[in-house]
Amino acid sequence: MNDLTFKLLAAARRLAQLLVVIVGSTFLVSLLLQLLPVGLKELYVFALDEAGRQQQIQALHLDKNPVMFYLYWLWDFVRGDFGSIVYPTGVLDPVMPKVTAAMPVSLRLVFYVQALALVVSVPLGILSAYRAGRRSDRVISYVLFSAASIPNFVFALLLASFFGVTLAWLPPLGYVAPSENLVEHLRTMALPVLALAIPTIATYTRLLRTDVIAALREDYVTMAASKGLSNIRILFTHILRPSSVTLFTSAALNMGALIGGTLVIEQIFTIPGMGTEIGIAIFSRQYFALQSYVAVIAIGYVLFNSIVDIAVGFVDPRSRDRRNG
Amino acid sequence: MVKLFREMKISSRVSAFWLCLMALFAVVGHWIPLPDPREFDIDASAVGPFSPGHILGTDAGGYDLLSNIVNGARTSLLISIVSVGLGGFIGSVLGILAAYRRGRLDYIINTTFNIMLSIPNLVLGLALVAVLANNADPAIPVNPNRRMFVIIVSLTIVIIPILGRIARGATLTWSNREFVVAARSMGMRDLNIVLRHIVPNVLPAIYAVGFLAVGVVIVAEGALSLLGVGIVDGLSWGAMIARVAGEFEYAPQSMYVPVLVLALTVIACNQIGDFLRGRLDVREGKI
Repeated sequence: MNDLTFKLLAAARRLAQLLVVIVGSTFLVSLLLQLLPVGLKELYVFALDEAGRQQQIQALHLDKNPVMFYLYWLWDFVRGDFGSIVYPTGVLDPVMPKVTAAMPVSLRLVFYVQALALVVSVPLGILSAYRAGRRSDRVISYVLFSAASIPNFVFALLLASFFGVTLAWLPPLGYVAPSENLVEHLRTMALPVLALAIPTIATYTRLLRTDVIAALREDYVTMAASKGLSNIRILFTHILRPSSVTLFTSAALNMGALIGGTLVIEQIFTIPGMGTEIGIAIFSRQYFALQSYVAVIAIGYVLFNSIVDIAVGFVDPRSRDRRNG
Repeated sequence: MVKLFREMKISSRVSAFWLCLMALFAVVGHWIPLPDPREFDIDASAVGPFSPGHILGTDAGGYDLLSNIVNGARTSLLISIVSVGLGGFIGSVLGILAAYRRGRLDYIINTTFNIMLSIPNLVLGLALVAVLANNADPAIPVNPNRRMFVIIVSLTIVIIPILGRIARGATLTWSNREFVVAARSMGMRDLNIVLRHIVPNVLPAIYAVGFLAVGVVIVAEGALSLLGVGIVDGLSWGAMIARVAGEFEYAPQSMYVPVLVLALTVIACNQIGDFLRGRLDVREGKI
């Protein structure tokens, strides 16, 4: 087999794996609806006459078995119909517009957090690695460890109380779209982003610190130094490039915790993102909507992880060879 | 145990002490002479820490904070220990089985783990609790015991793939070791090999990650409370935080106390988990 077919085959296998996980996770979410202690029919069929009941049951596919129910949902989902919120009057309110409105808000929040975390933790990680072994190092690493362990809603509540209420520097809740007023947008986003970013920064800094300390002991770094390369050059080409792989992989892994975190943070700061929509869906018992929200999140999470995996292959040839070998 | 304690650095010792204290609260908390956590003191609402009769003060409703922390420890620790214990057990059995048998069973179990892990754990937990805790009529008040059961079941399901994957990974490395191959070639039964040679070697990794998982579950319980689907009768740390989340200007201690206790407990769990993991690496390195 030549190299190209091998690569294509590997890519096809990867894609198949991805599809299995996506189909599996959406099916799992669909199965959740079957676990409801109250039947879906009792929740969503409101017509009083028998003919109307049958019509509603068929419209919502409630007469199907779990597998068919899922397949109908999947067929609608891939065509962009994310199901509906069902009102007692029988009126259907499609979920898709809610997703397109809420998703950018949540994505923006996550993007800010990841960007801030990477920008802060890279210099911090390098700095603390160069200081490794000194007395201050133990204090720094303990502070980082603690900060990484503290849940983000703790930071959220403390920040909101201190900067939002006591000092009243920043709005403790609310959201302003960037198209409306950019300055206000950044001001409303500051506290939620900070609350999510502090534990993330601590996690990344710790990882980078360990990585850089290990890299500094590598022979190729000693070699580069003895060749007379400048410290900056060694730092960027010999230390940061391999370390960026760890960093990006952990950024991808951290995404799950971050998505979970945004659910809570959005509720605390009343940001109209996916977390708030999920909260509304749960309280108004709209499980079709919940199903689509969770499915969207799961698919996004899986795709993001795969993209990072592929990107890592470009940055680090070693991992590429490992996978093909 | 004593030997383990001697190996610890000061930070791990403090963590172990803190966790023991919380466990003590959880077990004998209701015998400690403190005000009733559910009874408000009408003469002392929102008093600060170190007030007479209220060591940590009270919240805006006049509920004693220390008593709520002590009695809430039972719920919070019960939820985390039971769900991590149960999830860890089921996950380990599945993970070890998958890695020892390999083949199609391994593919099915591993894919299932991957599928479950593809939903961020708080999202999965929230969806499970939301669905399972549903009752026929929203007007009927939620049964606290049933809600607790639902939360434990949901978090157990969340924990299964996390620890299952660790067990699978550890079993994969250990089942190719010489002594396992030797035992197999001597005709030892599979069940005996697993129980005698695999399980004892896999367990330390499970314990290490298990402590981290306890931290994850304590946080998840708090998050679920903040999202409005937590413990309903208010006797847990998460519920304490959720109760005062919006309005704690009058009694800031009602926010800081539970938040601090929760954060310290999670830090302690992570510290012990980290210590156990570090110990594991050293032993691996010496071989």
